[in-house]
Formats: sequence, C-alpha cells, structure tokens
Amino acid sequence: MKHAISVTLNADIVYTRIASQVAGAAAEVYANEVGITGNIAEFCHAFELSVSESFTNSVRHANHQADGDVTINFFTDANGLTAVVSDTNPEFNPVTPPPDVTLYPEGGYGLFIIHKLMDSISYSRKKDRNILTMTKSAHPPAI
Amino acid sequence: MKISSKKLGDYTILSLSGILNASSAPQLKSYLEETDFSGSLIIDLELVDFLDSSGLGILVGIARRKKAANEILKLANLNDRVKKVFEITQAYTLFDIYDEVNAAAE
Repeated sequence: MKHAISVTLNADIVYTRIASQVAGAAAEVYANEVGITGNIAEFCHAFELSVSESFTNSVRHANHQADGDVTINFFTDANGLTAVVSDTNPEFNPVTPPPDVTLYPEGGYGLFIIHKLMDSISYSRKKDRNILTMTKSAHPPAI
Repeated sequence: MKISSKKLGDYTILSLSGILNASSAPQLKSYLEETDFSGSLIIDLELVDFLDSSGLGILVGIARRKKAANEILKLANLNDRVKKVFEITQAYTLFDIYDEVNAAAE
C-alpha cells in the first residue's frame, strides 16, 4: 500500500516541532504497518530528527523572506519511507564535511546528522526550489 | 521547554525538560546569559524528550566556555534519543557524562 502526506509550513522556526512530529508520526505508522528491520523507536527517532534538521536548515537559510514556505512530502515505496523537503531558498551544497568537534563548534551538525541517520539522500534544484529527498529503509542491508 | 536550577553541594544543577530544538534553543541561550553559572555545573537532561543539533550546539557552547574558564561541566541522565545525538556527532567526547545526577556530584 502506498501512502502520501504533504505538509506546508511557513518558514518560521516556531513550526519546527510540527514538522518533526508529523515526521515521527509518519515513521511510527509506517514502521508498525510495514514492519522494519531493527528497533522501531530508533527508526522513528532517526526519521523525526532528520526532518527536524532539514526543516531547521530551510528556515535558517530563508533570508527572512516574509512569504517563504517549506513543504514536506512524505511517501512510501519499496525503498522505504521518504521525506522530500523543499523550500524557496538559494541553492546550497548538501555535501558538508563532518564537524570537527575538537574545535567545539556550536553549529554545522544538521546535514551531517541527516547523512548519518538516513539511508539515502539526494538534492536537486527545480523551479527555483531546493529539494532534499531522504529515505529511511525498512530493511537496510547489513553492514 | 522548562529550565530550572538548584545547588547540590559544590555544584549547580541545571535541569532541562521538554524539547530542546531550534525553536526552544534561544530560550535556553537567554537563560544562560541572564544567570550566573560560574563554577562547577551539572546539566540534568533526564526530562529532555527531544534534542536536535541546535540544542546540541548550545550545550557544546557551554562546554567550550567551561573549558576556557577551567571549570567543571558534567552531563547526567541522557536518555537513548539524546544519547544518539551525542554519539553520531562525537560530541560525547567533549563532556563528562554520568547516568545520574548524584553520581555526577560525588
């Protein structure tokens, strides 16, 4: 069975929790309905946190656009559960080096966390929107 | 999020609860700027339901300032969700982490 959910929020940091809670709820339904390899709580947390980080990045780079928005589409397919986060911000490089914690950085963790927690990530630019697509597999290959 | 502090022996215990994310992080930052946390500090994270990189960044900032001041900072009561953020970012290497506040205060 395929499912799709779409949420559009103002590019405002106060909506961060809504974005992450919708993601967490979608992950919980998906994990319980489809069945996943591994711990359901960890799966849901990884998905929730990744969407939270992506939404936060979208808001942080919104350049104070009063009418900026962030749209998050969730869907399921054979690959797993996917979140597609899109915004109207300037283009960005989704590949960032891991933060050097020995320097006590207070930022720069967000994309790194997403890369660590999700099983696949892709970035594209369409119709003046950034589109970050990230998938958490139900049955990731054993390492 | 809720923030409170109290004294326990030589330590100040800073207790956080709720969601520590990009939305609530400024609240914690303001609290830290308005309150004197000089000396030995334990941050109790038992009631933190959710931590993201913005919350982590604030905690790393505290660690940096404590290190610069040559003061003690300990974290206590990290649940699995909070612990995961420290593990994947390697930020746990910057902190002394304890299972309980009382163990941290010994």
